[in-house]
Amino acid sequence: MTHAYGKRSGVRYVTGGLKVYYVPWKPFLMQNTLPTLFLTFPIVRAILIREKISVVHGHQAFSTLCHEALMHPRTMGYKVVFTDHSLYGFADAGSILMNKVLQFTLADIDQAICVSHTSKENTVLRSGISPQKVFMVPNAVDTAMFTPSPERLCCDEIVIVVISRLVYRKGADLVEVIPEVCHLFPKVRFIVGGDGPKRVRLEEMREKFSLQDRVEMLGAVPHAQVRSVLISGHIFLNSSLTEAFCIAILEAASCGLLTVSTRVGGVPEVLPDDMIVLAQPAPEDMVQAVKKAIDMLPGIDPQLMHLRMKKLYSWDDVAKRTEIVYDRAMQSPKTDLLERLPRYLTCGAWAGKLFCLVMIMNYLLWCLLEYLQPTEGIEEVPDIGPIHAHFESVDDLCETQGK
Amino acid sequence: MEQERKGVVSSGMYTYNHHSDSGFDIHEIFVKTSRSRVLLSYIGVVFLLANVCQPLLSKEGLSSSSVWSITFGILVAKCLQYKPVKKESVVIMPTFGVQLEIHFWSGKVHRRFVPIGKILKPLLNECVTPVTCYWSLALLLRDEEELMLVFQKSHPPVKMLVPVWKALCKFLNSEYLANSSVSKPECPEHD
Repeated sequence: MTHAYGKRSGVRYVTGGLKVYYVPWKPFLMQNTLPTLFLTFPIVRAILIREKISVVHGHQAFSTLCHEALMHPRTMGYKVVFTDHSLYGFADAGSILMNKVLQFTLADIDQAICVSHTSKENTVLRSGISPQKVFMVPNAVDTAMFTPSPERLCCDEIVIVVISRLVYRKGADLVEVIPEVCHLFPKVRFIVGGDGPKRVRLEEMREKFSLQDRVEMLGAVPHAQVRSVLISGHIFLNSSLTEAFCIAILEAASCGLLTVSTRVGGVPEVLPDDMIVLAQPAPEDMVQAVKKAIDMLPGIDPQLMHLRMKKLYSWDDVAKRTEIVYDRAMQSPKTDLLERLPRYLTCGAWAGKLFCLVMIMNYLLWCLLEYLQPTEGIEEVPDIGPIHAHFESVDDLCETQGK
Repeated sequence: MEQERKGVVSSGMYTYNHHSDSGFDIHEIFVKTSRSRVLLSYIGVVFLLANVCQPLLSKEGLSSSSVWSITFGILVAKCLQYKPVKKESVVIMPTFGVQLEIHFWSGKVHRRFVPIGKILKPLLNECVTPVTCYWSLALLLRDEEELMLVFQKSHPPVKMLVPVWKALCKFLNSEYLANSSVSKPECPEHD
């Protein structure tokens, strides 16, 4: 369940039997819907009842819809699981507010998932949740899609690929690293894919140092074309300032590229030491790391790297581990409102009481909805296979026409 | 009149009735509304009219508050458009088309006829609104951008929509086959 994206609204069936509800709530900031607190309760309740849901799994701390969609099922007695995909700070006003909201959501969660041990530590510190409730399930990469080039690239010219959103969080240091590397290594060329506010600064750097023939700017690269960009390079450069996991370096390693990355967040946990060169998030250190990577290049075999990635990461493994989390969530005991309210009081002197009030109002709203639209009135979705049913009727028609 | 009763299904506030009459296949959805509720709705309309007329007929004449109450009354009436529906029916007429009818408690009947050539396919849709989600049966029409809802005023459950959808599919398939068998002798040179 998500909000509508432009004209994409309603129910969509995706391959593998996945059903997506695009609820027509308009996003107001960075693909996030307006925090309505209680207004999403009717549609969430309708979807949970009609689809016979057992577990509700929410993603991303920054998503207002996620927090609301975890609060309402909890009131209704469903099991809830939360996955945090990012690291957040503790000091600035935005982080403080976000952490308080996260504390509210995780005060009464059944289980939580984080994508790296660093992320688990960060989430536990921010929200005060018990570490026993947090599982570590890393992301993976589709190794069938990200395969290395069948022909090995020649090493006369070394190509360094950078593909990321060009924002401050993903590395403003590129502006200093690229000219320095181009100056020290005449055989090196850069390919920069991605778009964002920092793109202008990179273009200015290109003009200033006359690197138009050595730095190629591709602009936004659709995900389907990322592989073709990656296989045109030898080294992948990631200069994030903060990263909970970093799937981009997995994709690069799966395509047989040697990775140079900043040692931030969960990045050191992602790849084995012989596939990645880590550096401090400072331009001088990153240039040294690039030099080390260039020296390591002759010993790298892209096909071997790809085979190792195939064994290390797979989405099937992630699915199995997530299922274990769901089973554990289903085993947690049933609790009623009076047992749950004290958990919110631990969130803070004032915040605790406010959260309790919010949950009591949510419970009263649920009672009102049960009266206005009883559960029996919401019919369950039949187990139909819409694609198969359509094909059967078309086949019947074709057979009759053929005779 | 030859009438043949084929099935009755009742669920909550809707009752589905399927029968055939003189070769026409008729599917009806009855909306259960208590007579007291219908009476209340008419009383409500009378009160609204009284609220609107009172400032007009009073001796003080029109003031800003009375203009506001009249405007508000008209807006509420427009939003509600409350005309209790007794039943909605789908009459499938072989070789002609489909007639969609809405019968109101006041005795008024609203009919729409859709010729067979205009219908491309009947569809069962899951409609998602900001507050709820329900099934609807719609007709995909030739040269029209919008779908035509078969049951406009009521939201019957999907177990009542499925037999109507199947009947419409069967009706369209049989018409298509009849047309293709008629057109075959005209093209003997095709191999």
